[in-house]
Amino acid sequence: MAGRLTDKDLQSRGAKLTRPILMAVLVLLLFLVALAAMIWGAVTIGWKNVFAILFDTLPFYQSETAAGIAPVYKDILLQIRVPRVLLAAAVGSSLAVSGAVFQGLFRNPMADPYVIGISSGAALGAVFAMLGGFSLAVGGFGAVPLFAFFGGLATILLVYSMARVGRAVPVMTLLLAGIAVSAFLSALVSLLTYFAGEKLHQVIFWLMGGLSGATWMQVKVMLPYAFIGYLSVSIFSRELNAMLLGEETASHLGVDTEKVKKILLAGASLLVAAAVSTSGIIGFVGLVVPHFVRLVAGPDHRFLIPASALLGGSLLIATDMIARVIIAPTELPVGIITALIGAPMFIYLLKKRRKLRYFGGGG
Amino acid sequence: MGLTIDVHGLKVAYDSVPVLDGTEFSVDRGDLIALLGANGAGKSTLLRCISRILPPTAGRILLDGRELKSFKSREAARLMAVVPQETAADFDFTVEDIVMMGRFPYLTRFKKEDLHDREVVRRAMEMTGVTHLAERSIAQLSGGEKQRVVMARAVAQQPEVLLLDEPTANLDIGYQSMLLELASRLNREEGVTVMAAIHDINLAVHHFNRFILLAGGRVLAAGRAEEVITADNIRKSYGVPATTFRHPLHGVLQVSVVRGDKTRNAGNGGPRVHVIGGGEEAMPALELLYQKGCRLSVGPVSAQDSGCRFAHFNSLPVVIVPPFTTMNREHRGEHLNLLRESEAIVVPPIPFGEGNLPLFEEVEIVLDEGKPLYIIDLAGVPERDYSGGKAVALLRRLLEKGASGVERVEDLAKVIKRGGGEDDD
Repeated sequence: MAGRLTDKDLQSRGAKLTRPILMAVLVLLLFLVALAAMIWGAVTIGWKNVFAILFDTLPFYQSETAAGIAPVYKDILLQIRVPRVLLAAAVGSSLAVSGAVFQGLFRNPMADPYVIGISSGAALGAVFAMLGGFSLAVGGFGAVPLFAFFGGLATILLVYSMARVGRAVPVMTLLLAGIAVSAFLSALVSLLTYFAGEKLHQVIFWLMGGLSGATWMQVKVMLPYAFIGYLSVSIFSRELNAMLLGEETASHLGVDTEKVKKILLAGASLLVAAAVSTSGIIGFVGLVVPHFVRLVAGPDHRFLIPASALLGGSLLIATDMIARVIIAPTELPVGIITALIGAPMFIYLLKKRRKLRYFGGGG
Repeated sequence: MGLTIDVHGLKVAYDSVPVLDGTEFSVDRGDLIALLGANGAGKSTLLRCISRILPPTAGRILLDGRELKSFKSREAARLMAVVPQETAADFDFTVEDIVMMGRFPYLTRFKKEDLHDREVVRRAMEMTGVTHLAERSIAQLSGGEKQRVVMARAVAQQPEVLLLDEPTANLDIGYQSMLLELASRLNREEGVTVMAAIHDINLAVHHFNRFILLAGGRVLAAGRAEEVITADNIRKSYGVPATTFRHPLHGVLQVSVVRGDKTRNAGNGGPRVHVIGGGEEAMPALELLYQKGCRLSVGPVSAQDSGCRFAHFNSLPVVIVPPFTTMNREHRGEHLNLLRESEAIVVPPIPFGEGNLPLFEEVEIVLDEGKPLYIIDLAGVPERDYSGGKAVALLRRLLEKGASGVERVEDLAKVIKRGGGEDDD
């Protein structure tokens, strides 16, 4: 068999080599962006000091440089910036991955993590909790993230049960039901916002989304969700590829489409609900990052999903840093920055690539 | 090699309107079957049931004697591949990616495609002639190329059963026959059981050897072409009058359908016209005059002649001469009668030879009696004269006696209408 391997095989393997390279570039980018986000802020911490403080936390290692740094810098870095960077990475990659999954599942380039109403449900839950002033707290969490999380999941269950026909869930119906439910819930959110009174600023700020006040607690809760959600969708990458050709074709190829749809929906919804409940509704990342990756490397989900995770994480860390720094010590909502920076970059790439590795294909 | 498919009392209803209504048939190992039937006869629905997309309301489908429902998705996909009418190709996968997806049922979750899979894919692309497209994006291909890639993917599935749902519906004739030839090659060389829903009966008979004709969700006929493709069956299933005939080159059965609105006043109300001789050359004139409403008679022709079939199909008077014989006195008398009964006589652009020149004696008689005679394409007569100039001389004499020449068949309509009309007055 090996003798049959021709030059052509080797060539096509050569072409596929670009993927490991791209992946390495994305990992490096994530690392650099994370480092930058730890350096800059209301106060600047030099990169040497950043490394020193970080290494000092390792067991059985005492950094000599770290001993000479004022404790306040250590606190800023370890208690504020590091959790914030980690949370941004987790939220950004969750949004990007769920965006990629929804776009593939619905075979619709307009789909984003919020397309079937998770965000509206979460928003309703969160605004309800804020206006109600509940002091409920479970496991160190306030009412707002809890209400947001379960509001989002309840919405997806509602949409799912509305769209279900027997054992099957037609994705088009799911999409339309999601849009309708989303519109209804958004109207309720607007209604509540209208009567928000003195809490208006809190509500608006939550709706715009942001990572301010990130804590290790949030990171500890968010990371497992992000991890479980990511794993459950990424092991179905090959199925998702087949489903891009249409559900019937996918089942001709041996994909149990109804089962796969359920798992993907559940995994992606978990990612979105966790992201929204910790950081509000951050737009644009989930819509644009998967498109970015497709433009460069094609639609294969076995690459698209990990690459979106890396790029989504990097993008949110970077934009969050800018949101903190640009009018420091005041912060801008990060959603504003993601759109202001992401959109022009995306349009540039869209224009520059003559041959669109993209929905609708041919250039 | 190849698997059997048994369908028992299959029923499917969309919104309580039955589409399949007790469909019943069986497919043998290595069969090459065309599924025929009008739009809405249930062809696609049947294939969707067999390919496990659509659960039937009642009835059973057995694949290799085993209940189809009991197969796991991947297991079924290893045995059965489907080529649909059209495949969505909005995404920018390369051709090789698409064909590699045919290996999906063989790959476990954490197993990557290995050399064997690559080899299968390479051979599938070679067989379907898409190797040179391997690195191209599927979205950039033409409909015909795309369908060949889909075929390659089906081949890469290494199936025992290949189902095709009107795979040629959007293709040009070149790609149509190429694709069906591929399917029959898989059947021949790999013993794959092939079942294809096909609209074009005349195309199907070239590539398939068994036929199932569906009508109203039931099997109207099944078997060889001769048993299934009959004028009667076509009329029952498609609701149109049709004729069947043998293809002049390949000898396979062919179907021709006469449109309802065209025939409404065909052969009615117009003047009585006799067309001399038959063969391919006479057909355009016969068809044209018939559609214009002329009451035709035909002859003399031999029994196997297309002019004779035309006359029989439309129940027209015709003089038939047995093959390989010359006209006898009776034939000539019969012919003379038809000539006398008609209001005009047409000589189509037929070849002239010693065999048919004698019949012009009767033609000359009625011409002398004042009957209008139209000869089509006078200029081409010398080329069609196999009697050493006799025909040219004869026609020249007929012209002198008042016959008129018509340049093209199409001009006949005007002349005959007028000529016939004047005769009536």
